Amino acid sequence: MKFANLHERLFYEALRIRRAEERIIEIYPTDRIQSPVHLSIGQEAIAVGVCEPLRIEDPLFGSYRSHAFFLAKGGSMRDMFAELYGKATGGCGGKAGSMHLTAPEVGFMGSSAVVASTIPNAVGAALAAKRRGTGQVVVTVFGDGATEEGVYHESLNFASLHRLPVLFVCENNGLAVHSKLSDRQSYDLCQHAATYGLPTQRCREGWNFLLVRDEMARAAEEVRSGSGPRFLEYQTYRYQEHVGIGCDHDVGYRSRAALEEWQANDPLLHDSALVDAFDLAIREEIDDAVRFAEESPWPGPEHLLADVA
Amino acid sequence: MGVAYKIDSDHAASRTYREALFRCMRGALANHPEAFLLGQGVDDHKGTFGSTIGLAEEFGADRVMDSPLAEESMTGIGIGAALNGLYPIQTHIRADFALLAMNQIVNMAAKYKYMFGGRFEVPMLIRMVIGRSWGQGAQHSQSLQSLFAHVPGLTVIMPATPDAILETYPWIIANHRGPVVSLEHRLLYDIAFRSDDVAAGNDPLTSRLLREGSDVTIVATSIMVLEAKRAAEHLAETAGIEAEVIDLHCVSHPNRAMILDSVTKTGRLIVADTSWKAYGVAAEISRLVCEHDPSVLRAPIATLGMAPAPCPTAKTLEDLYYPTLRSLADTAARVVTGRDDHGVALPEEASMADVYKRFKGPF
Repeated sequence: MKFANLHERLFYEALRIRRAEERIIEIYPTDRIQSPVHLSIGQEAIAVGVCEPLRIEDPLFGSYRSHAFFLAKGGSMRDMFAELYGKATGGCGGKAGSMHLTAPEVGFMGSSAVVASTIPNAVGAALAAKRRGTGQVVVTVFGDGATEEGVYHESLNFASLHRLPVLFVCENNGLAVHSKLSDRQSYDLCQHAATYGLPTQRCREGWNFLLVRDEMARAAEEVRSGSGPRFLEYQTYRYQEHVGIGCDHDVGYRSRAALEEWQANDPLLHDSALVDAFDLAIREEIDDAVRFAEESPWPGPEHLLADVA
Repeated sequence: MGVAYKIDSDHAASRTYREALFRCMRGALANHPEAFLLGQGVDDHKGTFGSTIGLAEEFGADRVMDSPLAEESMTGIGIGAALNGLYPIQTHIRADFALLAMNQIVNMAAKYKYMFGGRFEVPMLIRMVIGRSWGQGAQHSQSLQSLFAHVPGLTVIMPATPDAILETYPWIIANHRGPVVSLEHRLLYDIAFRSDDVAAGNDPLTSRLLREGSDVTIVATSIMVLEAKRAAEHLAETAGIEAEVIDLHCVSHPNRAMILDSVTKTGRLIVADTSWKAYGVAAEISRLVCEHDPSVLRAPIATLGMAPAPCPTAKTLEDLYYPTLRSLADTAARVVTGRDDHGVALPEEASMADVYKRFKGPF
């Protein structure tokens, strides 16, 4: 695929992620994907904007909501669908499923279902990067809820104390499952992170993948130059329910108006010319991945006790 | 097989548990550029009970890192460092503090390899020190091996001697590609052991047969290995009872064949563990024998461990809380003779803390 400019390339990547997750929604009722899925629809611009300035060898650690980052970092569509199907050909041979996607070959270091638990792993990878002089920038991506966990604060402290090359990227969608941020946090995310002595930056236009990309590119360059860790908050909006494929704007915890406000800015919903230009190629890639997943073998008993210790 | 070690600080070829630990820590830093120490106070003047003294000066603050009081993140940072090419050696000056790191140890370190389909390895050594005596109380005394050994993906060891440390730590650091939890016993640190070449060549990650005997098998962990050896010698001298002593050593991966062969030979089993008996090492070793063939047992299995309570601080209660040389010898005589009034003279010693006099706290 050839792109006229960076905007087109990022648009393509974001659309690719959305279409992949929309395909998951189509398939899910058949029960062929037997894994809890936490969809990123609405949040794709952050994944593509954050990953664009990164090198393959820059490790990125994610959470259970990581389809978008897996694909944006360069993970293979086939690996992902086969993994979601629980097939032996999946990126992790079917042992990971949706919540533990990983693609170390492109620096996507894995994702954890326990909130905030990969944050210190990223800091440790940054410690190793600094010690070994690898030139890597390490990225940890987490939601606003993760900032309530103690280990997040411990990690900011250590990273700042030792000036480690790590970028803390918070995808703030304002929700922890169904709980609003204002019901959970006594602090302002950026102000609080700044108390650890690291530069912070807030981006309110989490739908704007070029802006997300530009801010990330500047931050990554600073970190790579050895200036220590940084914190980036990207405000965003989750279109689907916390886990599963449904919409839940009718159950009372959030308004449809807020959804519509975000959708009014969502480039993937408005630039029909680019959508039309890219959709066919994207559909072919997803069709191929789904076919690959469906035709692949299941892991057998010989895999049950492999790779335990 | 001769006496493998004695509490004998004057012996020319003796070395302490602490000296063995220090030698391994220094060796790790000297031989493995990717290795580093990360733990509370590893660089201070006490150096983790002497096991890391002077290493920060020799190898630099980057290799011997003091840590914030943040057990979960420190473990998580160790994991991340391991994923990106370093070999972390972490220390908890009491095993009790490792409970604050359980999320990283159990949900992350133990899972990284399997959960991601073998795509990652997390080579690291986590040292934890078990406290005992001088009023350690409820939160400085726990012996948590069964919690860790319960979780697939972790390798759990309990070195009982300097030789066990010297055989195991360098091998793990050089060769083992997964997370290892090592529970060291604080009471052992100051004890000098006579070095024994017999131990050389043992598989670092399995159990070891320390004494052969025909009457009863004693499977022991950590400091109870010493007590088992002393009890065996006492029983042999005073009553002609020959106990076979197995140092379990690798709690997560016991040498099943060694234990089953021994119990098949002796027909009797005692498990002497440093922790609580329920759902622990005592229960697990009993399970191995019962699932294999309970008919090899000529007497009911007997187990020794801490009393089923948090550890009390008062010495009078603490002396009742832990198994002793005397209770172990009594148990062995009872199991072998089948009688409570076995008539075997028991060692006089009532309090182990009085014996290990070189240990003077406060830690």
